[in-house]
Amino acid sequence: MTSERGPATAYDDRPYTRGGAVDRTDVGALVQSAVDGDTAAWKALVDGLSPLVWSVVRAHRLSDADGHEVYQTVWFRFAQHLGRIREPHKAGSWLASTARNECLKVIKSLRRLTPTDDPLLLDRASEDLTPEQSVLDSEEAAAQSERVRFLWQEFEALGERCRQLLRVLIASPPPSYQEVSAALGIAVGSIGPMRQRCLRRLRARLDARGAL
Amino acid sequence: MNGRNGRNGTNDDEPDDFFGEVPFVDEEFDHDRLEEELRQAAAILDPVPAELRRAAIEAYTLHDLDARIAELTFDSLVDAIPVRGAVDVPRMLTFHTGGLTVDVEVTDEGLMGQLLPPQSASIEVLRGPGAGASLTADDMGRFACATPPGGPFALRLRTAAEVVVTEWLRA
Repeated sequence: MTSERGPATAYDDRPYTRGGAVDRTDVGALVQSAVDGDTAAWKALVDGLSPLVWSVVRAHRLSDADGHEVYQTVWFRFAQHLGRIREPHKAGSWLASTARNECLKVIKSLRRLTPTDDPLLLDRASEDLTPEQSVLDSEEAAAQSERVRFLWQEFEALGERCRQLLRVLIASPPPSYQEVSAALGIAVGSIGPMRQRCLRRLRARLDARGAL
Repeated sequence: MNGRNGRNGTNDDEPDDFFGEVPFVDEEFDHDRLEEELRQAAAILDPVPAELRRAAIEAYTLHDLDARIAELTFDSLVDAIPVRGAVDVPRMLTFHTGGLTVDVEVTDEGLMGQLLPPQSASIEVLRGPGAGASLTADDMGRFACATPPGGPFALRLRTAAEVVVTEWLRA
């Protein structure tokens, strides 16, 4: 596994500069270019931020059908508001909070329809075969595949709050803490400590099963 | 240090762990690594579905600076107190821009609406990029559509004075 981050700097000291492949400071410029008609800029925004939107949807455990509709609604509205967004460099936060609001509406509407039942349908992993998946399916990578599935299994079995926080944090490229805050409605300052707790718990689970 | 020295000291079961040989790995560092591994697992096991990525790219055509956006100012799902025991309550939505108000009611049977102040308009029910079903608001500002949106939708209204698009939402 490659990590683009240097070793052991406390996240809390740099909540706004978290970020991997896509430099978030480019987001404002990309939004402006997209407003001016640059299709490539729009595509770059989708590539950089759609994993964040998707992770917010998944963090809320919507059914596939609802999740797909929320995801589309968010991007339709973003396109509609493009050029009217007050702080273009915070487009990631805009998308994250819009996705959160739409997710909460879905959950609310399901509660109204089925007041006694658990409204949230269990999600399942997407069946789309990614290039990475294809690699994993090859025989030589079977061991790694098993390890990844094992890790995911333990992640899924974490408590709901931890699962939700981590699902957003592990979007790729990594979201800023402001984006995570917008995605989950939690204060920026509490993300670092929560993350630490959750990862510690996950590590303990993995250790207990003697893997990784 | 972190109680996992035995594990961190060997690479046998961590084929792609670049950091396993580091003798002293503090917890923060371990967490960064664990998060990164999870990120890669998510990219493999729960990526953005290809058709959704495509849909987001195609959404660019919804960027339309000529139309005014009518903002959602009331949504019964959020702003109304649910009636106990009521099922299939209609979703009531109000959009507002400048001097125009658009009231919309969505049920399983379809969509009904009212423009205020009352006026005629041609209306397109958008479901995504591409043309939508065409409706007409009569002189009293009333309009109706027999099919419910069932997913993301927006109304594009052409009145005598202007073009207005309601905020995209899911109903």
